[in-house]
Amino acid sequence: MSASPSSVQAMELKGRMLLVSVLRVHDAEPHNLGNMLAARRDEAPDLMRDMPIVLDLQPVADAGDAALRAVVQQVRAAGFRLIGLQDGEAAQALEAADAAGLPPRLAMGGRGGSGEVALSEGRARREDPSAAAPEERDSAASGAPVAVHSATRVVDQPVRSGQQVYARGGDLLVTAPVSAGAELLADGHITVLGPLRGRALAGVRGLVTARIFCRRLEAELLSIGGHYRIAEDITEAERGDNRLVTLAGESLNITES
Amino acid sequence: MARIVVVTSGKGGVGKTTTSAAIATGLAQRGHRTAVIDFDVGLRNLDLIMGCERRVVYDFVNVINGDANLKQALIRDKRVENLYILPASQTRDKEALTEDGVERVLGEMAEEFDYIICDSPAGIERGALMAAYHADEAVVVTNPEVSSVRDSDRILGILASKTRKVEQGGDPMPGRLLLTRYSPERVERGEMLSIEDVGDILAIDLLGVIPESQAVLNASNAGQPVILDAESDAGQAYDDAVGRFLGEDRPLRFVDVPKRGFFGRLFGG
Ligand SMILES: Nc1ncnc2c1ncn2[C@@H]1O[C@H](COP(=O)(O)OP(=O)(O)O)[C@@H](O)[C@H]1O
Ligand SMILES: [Mg+2]
Repeated sequence: MSASPSSVQAMELKGRMLLVSVLRVHDAEPHNLGNMLAARRDEAPDLMRDMPIVLDLQPVADAGDAALRAVVQQVRAAGFRLIGLQDGEAAQALEAADAAGLPPRLAMGGRGGSGEVALSEGRARREDPSAAAPEERDSAASGAPVAVHSATRVVDQPVRSGQQVYARGGDLLVTAPVSAGAELLADGHITVLGPLRGRALAGVRGLVTARIFCRRLEAELLSIGGHYRIAEDITEAERGDNRLVTLAGESLNITES
Repeated sequence: MARIVVVTSGKGGVGKTTTSAAIATGLAQRGHRTAVIDFDVGLRNLDLIMGCERRVVYDFVNVINGDANLKQALIRDKRVENLYILPASQTRDKEALTEDGVERVLGEMAEEFDYIICDSPAGIERGALMAAYHADEAVVVTNPEVSSVRDSDRILGILASKTRKVEQGGDPMPGRLLLTRYSPERVERGEMLSIEDVGDILAIDLLGVIPESQAVLNASNAGQPVILDAESDAGQAYDDAVGRFLGEDRPLRFVDVPKRGFFGRLFGG
């Protein structure tokens, strides 16, 4: 039936990070799947709407090649930006039968949180030209900058563990604390007028000039334009009050401002 | 119309039931008609803490299912006037707490009482969500340790989105922090988070601090809410918390070497 948890994961590609949404299919029956996809679209936070999708067919692995292939078709037809199949028996069986027209197998790592993705060795990037529109592939896979600007999203409530806020197409301003276990995302800049203890990812669609400012930096992860640093790589000296994070070349700089 | 208060925490074993019993009793002692409901279906123990376990005939789920009416199920406290207990079912699972059923029972109770205290189960599943959904405000029970604080933070995030008020476009319900099992000595030794640490992370108002106390164990063994042990530190601390809950200005006690910044912010002092 309906339950189709889709989670947002950060996947790592050559030292860069790309946000993908993992769509887990629990029912391959076309009508039910159609309903599920429609519901997913409606309820999806802004974030997921444009996000590249990795399809996880594992729960319906028994459905048979033809049915699984139909699922892939249907997901694409519904307008999702499919960039890969979650690696597993289902994806491998499909590919063994006939790889034509299938997105590549991707092995999403860790569960729930930030998984790491390695492009599967078994199969070079081949792509059915009809599979995805070229511009989709560009912005999704290569993370080309998308510098559309819209109003700043302002959040006055604390952002708590388990919560995720995404400022789509613009900047994010949080005037309250951001807890460990919370996640901020913006296509543009991120400003936190309180302690930042969670994750902050600015320029998630490739804007490398995006910045992060916080009143107090105690972050779990910082990322700009896909380049990131985890808590372990943030030194004691870099933590502290009034920190500005910028991207210089490939590395994140943290300075007092 | 009753004010509905959920006592919640995310984590189990931090003192929610102890607190629900104490606050409900304290409110009733001050003359407010008060009911306390055990939402922990399958793990009922509010009735033990309240010392009425041998008088349970019907429970919350019976009322939801229409097997009994409220009058039959509510247990009247023998020590304190105006105080009633609605016990949880031990034999059902949490699915028995249907949305409609909970709403109907709370609606009916709201006509009769000034305060309804909902003792939430641990976790972020159905029982906890049901206990919080209709509440007007929350008391977030937290122990001074990292995992409890993290779970409380998570619950506060859920309260900010998953309540009837918010779904109807209203403001998120106010939540206040009750820091329990606080041991000033252990804080000084650096083994526990301080009031200031916890306040800094959760960023909500402080309702009170309850010390770690043998009196709580004694009270629960005796089947009597600890607030009735007026000589004890925990009993007095709960009494202060009830006072603050009702808007009284009460200084913190039993906390030793308090740090200034945090109190300044909380109590404007
Ligand atoms: N202030 C306190 N001092 C000492 N023990 C306490 C205190 N508060 C609670 N306890 C003990 O902690 C345990 C869990 O308390 P309880 O109220 O049942 O928690 P919860 O309802 O959150 O699971 C019980 O054994 C209780 O006696
Ligand atoms: Mg309990």
